[in-house]
Amino acid sequence: MHVMLCCNAGMSTSLLVQKMQNEVAARGEDTVIEARPMNEAMDHINEADIILLGPQIGYAKADFEKAVDGRCPVVVIPMVDYGRMNAPKILDDIKATLA
Amino acid sequence: MDEMNDLQMTCFEIISFVGTAKSCYINAIAKAKEGAFDEAADLIKQGDEAYNGGHDVHMKLLQADAAGERNGEAPLILLHAEDQMAGTETCKLMALNFIDTYKELFALKAKVAE
Repeated sequence: MHVMLCCNAGMSTSLLVQKMQNEVAARGEDTVIEARPMNEAMDHINEADIILLGPQIGYAKADFEKAVDGRCPVVVIPMVDYGRMNAPKILDDIKATLA
Repeated sequence: MDEMNDLQMTCFEIISFVGTAKSCYINAIAKAKEGAFDEAADLIKQGDEAYNGGHDVHMKLLQADAAGERNGEAPLILLHAEDQMAGTETCKLMALNFIDTYKELFALKAKVAE
């Protein structure tokens, strides 16, 4: 499974990605998780099975949904989970969304 | 850098709060553009609540700094949090002005259509 995380500068998201990658490794899963700044994300939009947006670009959800055109879900990471870098919860929510 | 230290977690909290506020303010402009001014006002209110959440967390940092409890550490993530706060504040000012502008525009359109 390929997860793409986006936010405007890609900085705080890249730290969250690292925490999620550690969690995925701990769970022994082979999920690929990558962080991309918003302007780059659109060029790689068809590589992901799910797109997670940081709260700071939650407003762009409709643009992302138009770009993927129903091919995969676009989800805004809940403020509390993002603020606490809650990698296990975010990964569980991804599974629930894709189930 | 496996374990997130307290300062990083504080920064993420700020970024998450003010980031949510920014989205609210930008969505408020989109609503005003559609003429949905009540929804726009509600989104501004939601944005303020989220922003205040970030502001409260930031205040704790300032107080710790003032009390000499911080070692002056300023990692890039703290600068990013500050940047997001300042940017969101500007976003709100712009959103309020856009909403007023769209209100006038819709009023003028209504008059022209009479």
